[in-house]
Amino acid sequence: MGHRVLVCDDAIFMRTMIGDILAGAGYEVVGEAETGLQAVERYKELRPDLVTMDIVMPDMGGIEAVREIVKADADAKVLMCSAMGQQALVVEAIQAGAKDFVVKPFQPSRVLEAVQRVLG
Amino acid sequence: MDVRQYADLFLTESREHLTAFNQLLLEWERDPAATGAVGGIFRAVHTIKGMAATMGYAAVADLAHRVESLLDGVRRNERTANAALLDLLFRAADALERAVAEAVAGGDPAPGVAALLAELERETSVTPAAAPAPAREARPSAPVILPQTGPGKGRTVQVTIRPDAQLKGARALLVLRRAEGLGAVSAVTPAPVAFEQDGFDGRFSFRLDAEGANEAIARALAAVGDVAHVEFADEAAAAARAAAGEALRSRHIRVDLRRLDELMNLIGELVIARGRLHAIAARFAEPDLHDVNGQIARLAAALQSEIVAARMVPVWQVFDRFPRMVRDLARQMGKQVAFRVEGKDIELDRAILDEIAEPLVHLLRNAVDHGIEAAEDRVAKGKPAVGQLVLAALRERSSVAIKVSDDGRGISREKVLSRARQLGLLDAETALVGDEALFRLISRAGFSTAEKVTDVSGRGVGIDVVTTAMRALGGAMEVHFEEGKGSTFTLRLPATLAIVRALLTRVGDELYAMPLTHVAETFDAKPADVQKVQGREAVLLRGQLLPLVRLRQVLGAAAPAVPPRGQPVIVLELGERRTGVVVDALIGQQEIVVKSFEAPRGMLSVFSGATILGDGVPALILDAGGLV
Repeated sequence: MGHRVLVCDDAIFMRTMIGDILAGAGYEVVGEAETGLQAVERYKELRPDLVTMDIVMPDMGGIEAVREIVKADADAKVLMCSAMGQQALVVEAIQAGAKDFVVKPFQPSRVLEAVQRVLG
Repeated sequence: MDVRQYADLFLTESREHLTAFNQLLLEWERDPAATGAVGGIFRAVHTIKGMAATMGYAAVADLAHRVESLLDGVRRNERTANAALLDLLFRAADALERAVAEAVAGGDPAPGVAALLAELERETSVTPAAAPAPAREARPSAPVILPQTGPGKGRTVQVTIRPDAQLKGARALLVLRRAEGLGAVSAVTPAPVAFEQDGFDGRFSFRLDAEGANEAIARALAAVGDVAHVEFADEAAAAARAAAGEALRSRHIRVDLRRLDELMNLIGELVIARGRLHAIAARFAEPDLHDVNGQIARLAAALQSEIVAARMVPVWQVFDRFPRMVRDLARQMGKQVAFRVEGKDIELDRAILDEIAEPLVHLLRNAVDHGIEAAEDRVAKGKPAVGQLVLAALRERSSVAIKVSDDGRGISREKVLSRARQLGLLDAETALVGDEALFRLISRAGFSTAEKVTDVSGRGVGIDVVTTAMRALGGAMEVHFEEGKGSTFTLRLPATLAIVRALLTRVGDELYAMPLTHVAETFDAKPADVQKVQGREAVLLRGQLLPLVRLRQVLGAAAPAVPPRGQPVIVLELGERRTGVVVDALIGQQEIVVKSFEAPRGMLSVFSGATILGDGVPALILDAGGLV
């Protein structure tokens, strides 16, 4: 059964690419969000099995969004998508409740590994 | 995975972010205290960096990274926003734009890009925060919620993160979190705060008080990923996973604009065929035929409105690049210009929007160069030093109006007239020329009153370029000006090309279609109502004199006997100019499909295209601008 995924990133480019990687591996992208605020709203509405979350987004960043999502659902599975050199932010996101992270530029195999780990 | 398939998307989206970058820079320049702009620029650049890195465009990613570092200094109050910094950022925006284009085209970065990169490197390396640090990285005070480090019960676990793993510290933290899920964790060495340091090599150990065999614990911890070894004594555990995947649909598709054009063409043909079917069905009293005819008509209409909607884009897609252009022009010309854009969300057919970009550049350049005066001249005339320039889109009845207005010197009647005499367009005696005629003079090819040719405008191509473009689109332009007070250029355009509603008329045996874009009303003019005013025919319509044009005369057909009950007149309205066009008969309204039209030179300038009607009969499309 394909897990349901919510993809959050402010760039269509990134959303498309992540969506393609996930869809190619049999996951179902059920929603997208381009701001942290949207991510939280869409999470509550869709209750996906997994969220991929960009860190730098307008209207509430990814870390704050993780906090809000975990507040709404303690079992939420959030995978952070970080750029290189954002270690401190990723650490902060993990402390906020993110389950794993991948680093841009994405390698599909790494993304899928991380997704499987989180869903595992 | 081949990332090249994402190149178009990368290009489009990078450009959007660069436009935002430019706009926010302008905002910031106006108000250096506006810190919101800095955050927005940071996000735009950061997004470009991430995308470029993914595409493997190192030059773009480097450049974006440097800009990010520069901005980070501002966000941390280590650098103040001054003119030099803004100038550097403006140039960086330009360089990024070039680098993006070159990267997608597969070329080498231009020398200019390399030079700017070097400049940015120098800039960012002299900041107090020596090393170019990415966003908000230094956060020594970040709360680290972790167990006490001290002697504890259980076994000692030694974990090594894979040397090629990214963000080893964050990965190590995930391992610790997983361990905490298994039992009590203590004596973490080195302390977790060190995980965030650059020197962290991915090796750490801790005491774990938990049930279970070493193998099970090793497996659980390795499942966090990127773990090279988990050792208790000499034991090691490793985990690796492979990703399997079956192809599944993607949720987004992008469509080549040419596909959309072709689709539009096909739907145009369908609309024509539907019209024919309708005409044929009318001849038979067969209920089923009428049913299916009605259904096809509804489906075709729905299909048509869908495809038209798919082609519509908000004007900001083109307008958003103008603020930067106007700013640069104003600087170059030494003018002070406040530029405002209104109605950005008004939608136009993509094809129309693409076509008006250049005419608008033209009008804006003209306004900055010729319209708005130098600050000292303005002050001398009692005007505010800063000139106002407005670009506005407005939705009107069945068209969209785009206005470019400035409060500059307007158009000098004297200059236009003397230039016209110089070019032999006007004889020396004619002194009294109406606004209309003046506008016609300006619109002529090669007419420019610029005293000297500048880099910006005044190269002898001018308003005629704009009027030509408008006609090709089935639109029209009008000009309003007041000497010394300013000018307004209004472009009136159909909201969509390809399929327009038109009024079908007949002259002799031929049918002509007049797009409704400029049709105000129709009425019958009785011969007795027609009067001669200054040698031209006109009728009084609701107390206002309406000049008449006889389509028969325009087309060179013989004048028939005028029926005493009157002749139909189509009232065309272009802004405040109104003209009545006298035709033989009105047939009715119909949707017509505009076919591209290669008019031979010297052909009457009153046609803008051709169409094929429902019954297969061709008709020429009349151009309101050529008749009014």
